[in-house]
Amino acid sequence: MLFPKKLTIEEWDARYQELARNGLREAHYGGPLGRHLAIEGNLRLRRLRFDNSTASLRLWNFLLTENERLRQARERGEKIVGAMKDLGTVPVMAYSLPGMRTFYPDGAWWTPCLMECSDGLLNQAEALGIDASFCPVRAMLAAFQNGEHFPRPDLLLCSTGAVCDDFSAIAQRLERLGFPIAWWEMPRRRAAEAGEEGCRLPGGLVAPRIQIDGAQEELARLAVMLGDLAGHRLEAPLLARGIREANRVRRLLAALRQAAYGSPAAPLPALEMLIAEMLALHFCSDRDESIKVLAGLLAEARTRARQGRWIVPPDAVRVYWINPVADLRAMNLIEDWGGRICGSDYMFTHALDLIPEDLPPLEALARTALADPMVGSSQDRAARVVAECRTSKAEAVVLSRIPGASHCAREGLLIRERVRDELGIPSVELEIPPLCDSLLPTLQSRIQALIETARSRRPPGVVPR
Amino acid sequence: MLVYLTSPWIPAEWIQAHGLEARGAWFAPDFALDRAALSAGICAFSEAVVRLAEGHPEVAVVFSSHCDQLRRGFDSQVSPHPERRFLFNLPSTWQTPAARRLLESELARLGRFLVALGGRPPAPGELDRILVQSGRHRTRMLSEAPHLSARQFAEALARFYWEGEVRPPRRQAESSQEQRGTEPLNWGWGVSARTVPIALVGGPLPRGQWRLLDLLEGAGARVVLNATEVGERGMRLCSPPETLQDRDGGGSPPEPGAFARRGSEEPTRVAETTRRLAQHCLENMIDVFQRPNTRLYAWLGERIEARKVSGIVLWAYTGCDLWRAEVQSLREAFGRPVLLLDADEVATGWARLNSRIEAFLESLRGGW
Repeated sequence: MLFPKKLTIEEWDARYQELARNGLREAHYGGPLGRHLAIEGNLRLRRLRFDNSTASLRLWNFLLTENERLRQARERGEKIVGAMKDLGTVPVMAYSLPGMRTFYPDGAWWTPCLMECSDGLLNQAEALGIDASFCPVRAMLAAFQNGEHFPRPDLLLCSTGAVCDDFSAIAQRLERLGFPIAWWEMPRRRAAEAGEEGCRLPGGLVAPRIQIDGAQEELARLAVMLGDLAGHRLEAPLLARGIREANRVRRLLAALRQAAYGSPAAPLPALEMLIAEMLALHFCSDRDESIKVLAGLLAEARTRARQGRWIVPPDAVRVYWINPVADLRAMNLIEDWGGRICGSDYMFTHALDLIPEDLPPLEALARTALADPMVGSSQDRAARVVAECRTSKAEAVVLSRIPGASHCAREGLLIRERVRDELGIPSVELEIPPLCDSLLPTLQSRIQALIETARSRRPPGVVPR
Repeated sequence: MLVYLTSPWIPAEWIQAHGLEARGAWFAPDFALDRAALSAGICAFSEAVVRLAEGHPEVAVVFSSHCDQLRRGFDSQVSPHPERRFLFNLPSTWQTPAARRLLESELARLGRFLVALGGRPPAPGELDRILVQSGRHRTRMLSEAPHLSARQFAEALARFYWEGEVRPPRRQAESSQEQRGTEPLNWGWGVSARTVPIALVGGPLPRGQWRLLDLLEGAGARVVLNATEVGERGMRLCSPPETLQDRDGGGSPPEPGAFARRGSEEPTRVAETTRRLAQHCLENMIDVFQRPNTRLYAWLGERIEARKVSGIVLWAYTGCDLWRAEVQSLREAFGRPVLLLDADEVATGWARLNSRIEAFLESLRGGW
């Protein structure tokens, strides 16, 4: 019986050799994790601690070979679409079409972290006019310009309107640098007013019919562009099938979140769970494979839970985490310092909710797009956070502020106020830069203070389950 | 009831047509930018809007959705009268039917909000009359601009947005001509061999920041283009009156009541009115938040060339990514030096801003 353990990359490579000797069977992108450090220069891997399961090995290899797989797809003649900002909607459409792959260039925001800034992307972005007052997603700008990371997409689709200004401004700069973008409007979600028809959205939200119609009209425009690129019309039955497949991914993720966050202790680490949740966005450029990766993780989590083998001790404080971290290491640290993740809102909860399958497919996607936490009010987002904290019996909340992100400043205050008023549990707001090493003492003292405060509120001898 | 607007792209004329009084919030006498923000990264302008709204529960406030900070500002307000607060969805795109319909539906929704506050639906011909009159006012404002100092133009704009009046001061050009006995020139007032024609570009410039204009012109610049949000750009909305012409029939501007005569039923008339207003607004809105923001560059380019602008001063608030991201693009597009001035620095005094302005102008005079 293998006990869950976090390994360094060197330890993982030693374990890999042993597994290989014992006949480990892997996907085509498999191999030792150390190669991503040695060959691709992902220096951050030296600082991370990885789950020791083969399911997690597959997850990491899947994640870290994405650019390579995109290039191979390009060589095979497949079309590549860069979806930007909407986080979860456009890829459902694109993967409904044959010979097409979609990815989020936004994901380049983790490249400076993974490469410990040896990539120079942030400096290059600054030279292109986007300095450190912007969110680290500015790395995307330089990645487009130098072409060293992902292949240049055949089509760029970016949502605009009620989206974060950092991203919109950077994307506009990108377009000025010679990368044409098709913009599509995403209105600020609002409640239906008297006399308006209200429609349910995934996640329990409601929006007026007129907004859904508008979003649907924009998606129909994108469907034509995608169809033209693919040389194949994106008809409703094709899209309906794409939605069903996307929902397979979302169902797996829901089950995985339930297994990982709903168990008495954590069967999988927070870091691997963050990566797994991200697969919902664009399936890491391979929808079918992402299903296999998630199925493997789910099986591992369930087995561990059944056998009571945990990666984090059962008395760890249950922490609800808000916003993605620019430095992946932070997800290791929360566990090192006595916490465990019991729920999350990494800014794309709408990509986790099931897309309605009983509606015309474009309308179903329009409703999903409108459920984006970024296009709604901070109160809507806070309400979901509070509800999920209740369900998951969260004892504390960490709000991870994205450096430079214009929406974070006010939103963080509002969410924390709501958490305090409705739940009375402690919360802390932290800013996590792409490399948080220099802030470790501060982060440690703030997170430990939060953990201690939460622990001190427990009745003696009781661990929430 | 007074209705404060937080963006010049929400047509004040629509408020007036509902029988209420519109005011540009940025020109409110108690619009205070000098207090420290609640948290790092919060834009001073949005914070001032929120505080203004909180300080005036008796007033209706229409927030705009065009930037993150104002949207979140709307979320953060605490008002004893939430029914007097409205978030107007301004589309970022402008080329599609979806954008037009969004704006149209927002105007209709705003109309219902105004009626609930005690306003009335526009009477037949009322909006036409207001638009035509406003168009004339805006045109006159623009024609006065070349003859006024930067501060005088700002004061005239404030009167327009705050009181709805066009009452430009005595032209500086005329008084200086009297003194010098010279011929008037477009944008020629105050220009000498050592004067540097500059464009002031950026977000809103409320009263409390007008000292910037004094510093610029005091240091030897001539602001030949005030392209701040409530400068010349904002004057394009509903101006000139010809843009209101019947597009189906072409020809001359509509007579008062023209919209009303097109439909016999009231709902049809109102719908037609909002459709035309939405179309007009979309066609004339020029701002940095639009995607793509090519129209802003085309508009600026035309004026920068025609007015022989030597340098560009970009006035941006902390946290205003939309403007800050344009510094390099402005340099590349127009081949002029760009000075980025941080609007939030005003809170700590003008000394540093002044020395930056002086250095900038000196370098421009030095033949950049």
